[in-house]
Amino acid sequence: MLQWALDALLGLGLLWLAWCALMSPNLLKAIVLFVAFGLLMALAWVRLDAPDIALAEAAIGAGLTGALLLAALARLRFAYADEETVGSPAQEEAKVRFPQWLPAVPLLLVVAGLGYVVLSLPPYATGLSTEVTANLESSGVSNPVTAVLLNFRGYDTLLELVVLLVALLGVWSLDGLALGRETAPGPVLDTLSRFLTPVFILVAAYLLWVGAHAPGGAFQAGSVLGAAGVLLLLAGWRFRAGLTELPLRLVLVAGPGAFVIVALVTMLMEGQLLEYSPEQASILILFLETTATFSIGATLAALFFGGRPQDDKEHT
Amino acid sequence: MGTVITKIPWGVLLILLPLMGGMACFLWPRIAKILGLVLTFVGVLSVVGLGWQIMSNGVYHHAVGGWGAPLGINLYADGLSLLMLAITALVGFGISVYSSGYFERQHSTRFWPLWLLVLAALNALFLSNDIFNLYVTLEVMGLAAVALAALTGSRDALSGAMRYLLANLLGSLSYLFGVALLYHGFGSVDITTLAVQVKGSPTTWAALGLIGAGLVLKTALFPLHFWLPPAHASAPAPVSALLSALVVKASFYILLRLWLEIFGPLGGDVDTLFGVLGAVAVLWGSLQALRQTRLKLLVAYSTVAQIGYLFLAFPLAMSAGVMAWNAAVYLALSHALAKAAMFLATGNMLRFGGHDRIADLDRVVQRLPLTATAFALAGVSIMGLPPSGGFIGKWLLLEVALAQGQWGLVVIIVLGGLLAAGYVFKVLGQAFTQAAVMHESRAVPASMEWAALLLAFGAILLGFLATPVLSLVGIGSPFGAHEVMP
Repeated sequence: MLQWALDALLGLGLLWLAWCALMSPNLLKAIVLFVAFGLLMALAWVRLDAPDIALAEAAIGAGLTGALLLAALARLRFAYADEETVGSPAQEEAKVRFPQWLPAVPLLLVVAGLGYVVLSLPPYATGLSTEVTANLESSGVSNPVTAVLLNFRGYDTLLELVVLLVALLGVWSLDGLALGRETAPGPVLDTLSRFLTPVFILVAAYLLWVGAHAPGGAFQAGSVLGAAGVLLLLAGWRFRAGLTELPLRLVLVAGPGAFVIVALVTMLMEGQLLEYSPEQASILILFLETTATFSIGATLAALFFGGRPQDDKEHT
Repeated sequence: MGTVITKIPWGVLLILLPLMGGMACFLWPRIAKILGLVLTFVGVLSVVGLGWQIMSNGVYHHAVGGWGAPLGINLYADGLSLLMLAITALVGFGISVYSSGYFERQHSTRFWPLWLLVLAALNALFLSNDIFNLYVTLEVMGLAAVALAALTGSRDALSGAMRYLLANLLGSLSYLFGVALLYHGFGSVDITTLAVQVKGSPTTWAALGLIGAGLVLKTALFPLHFWLPPAHASAPAPVSALLSALVVKASFYILLRLWLEIFGPLGGDVDTLFGVLGAVAVLWGSLQALRQTRLKLLVAYSTVAQIGYLFLAFPLAMSAGVMAWNAAVYLALSHALAKAAMFLATGNMLRFGGHDRIADLDRVVQRLPLTATAFALAGVSIMGLPPSGGFIGKWLLLEVALAQGQWGLVVIIVLGGLLAAGYVFKVLGQAFTQAAVMHESRAVPASMEWAALLLAFGAILLGFLATPVLSLVGIGSPFGAHEVMP
């Protein structure tokens, strides 16, 4: 009964927060509500017995996405500082022509249809969990999620790391504004960042190591590392000039690069792409996860920073 | 010699080489151009190697990680995949040659890594046999395509790319939801496994709707084409070419593949709907193209119309099977070559005159004869005049429609060709006349003119290769073993 009440509260709270975030005319308020939504969503994943996704949701969905949205908002305000409104004239026109409730009709129909389908699904689907359990022994790790991500379907994860790299390439090709350096950090932020950064690094290392047999892994560890990077950037820390070129790019590419090289080498040794021999599987997975953690952390912090670091050097 | 060629895992190299190349171009921008050119050329060789392998050993299988479906991911290539890979390699090489002359230094360092990653994603997509893996390849391709569309950073490019990004994400989300439903319902994401297991149920219907809607949005079938003209028209010329020629074909390929393997027997009414939307797309896209005053927008709307043709095959394939699908594949291949040539030629004219107003083209025929020829030859294939790949495709489609007595479709196919002739000649007519105002002109490198011309020649040449191409597509019988209707 108590669990039912808790779940109902969670579900309604999620809907309520999503509605408020979408309806809020104030962008800052909308972002704060979005972060709250992410945290509640993480709780919902915990209730659904998916602690791996809960960790990722809290770190990436709520934490870093929120930071990225706030960074985007700060740039919007900077870019539109002279103009009175941020909304473009085209949006105003669209408002006049269409009644706002009109898109709601097809959306409600879709929701009703999908709701019916979801309710008609069998409540429990084993999926591939029996196969995963049967092959867990030879996968090199004992956490089934890590086994799927880094071994059984490692090829997908390789491409996912490429997605992250492409996102950064896209941001860098836009000539965006890099994070300004004019604001000096207050004493609180300065002290806090000095205390927290080592803790973040320690947490990231723990999450990376524990991923082999419990919830955790490269994505969670990388996002914690990325959060440390964001904090340092906010506190005024900058890449030293010589490090923003090739060394930074090497760190950004390390994750997908190591993955591709391992894919090629394993294919030459074992015959199939990313086929690990059971004896070497666990050390290979640890290697891949470590490089991926550095890349994910660096990419997320670089996304927050915005433009290419060398552009920043040119402007000042 | 032969055994060495058949032993090299060409399929995997088609994915790994551009992936590594993209990262290397990002690390060392100075060698990006050379590396890009070399790797796209190696891509052509790899497809030849894969083709050799498939012709001597039959369809290509590769169990990634050694696990095999359903636990792992399988790569698979039959005749259909091979042809899509081949057209990607050929058009890709043409685009690379063109781009080596097109981009200034700063844009060049941004273009090459993204372009090689798009190429890797396209190859991975055509080789995949796993609906979740297909989603990941779609993400890499879509995100990189959006970044490329925004490359110039102009106001139009940014708003076009933003719209493209939102449409792309909505399509991906819808597709992923469908994948989740299929996995929950049938416990696998491997296409071959699903093909055996899937049967009609609310889950399957919802998955069909979600996956179909997501892919149709990505393929820009009317009325979900709204994002295509601004994105394709405001991108740099080689990017427009790769978006129109290859990227929209990729989502169409997934739709076709899933229809053939999984949804085909269930999708009766949806087939009819696709046919109707395709017919409207042919007319609407052609009429819009006729109305445009800017050359790039005209070519972009022509893509909307030509995509409509691909969907006309769905209602016809219900009883004609192989022949209708052959027609769709032929149209997709020849459109890839012709539209890439057309966008590249347009890029030359834009660079030469500094504008793309159709009314002021100012004797392009005399001043850029190779480019004008490329545009005209590509136009011949788009119109469907013999001898060209477009002609073969439309002829096959027309034959099936006549055999089934589908007079409505017959009229649409012919009318679409006439309208295409209208917009192609609208451009060529202006290319002969002198403009009222003189413009300063800027030289166009020979590599850019030849890249456009050779791709256009390819579209014409495809008209003479019907027998070998159609026998290639039959390897592994991707369209099933249905009897062809007399």
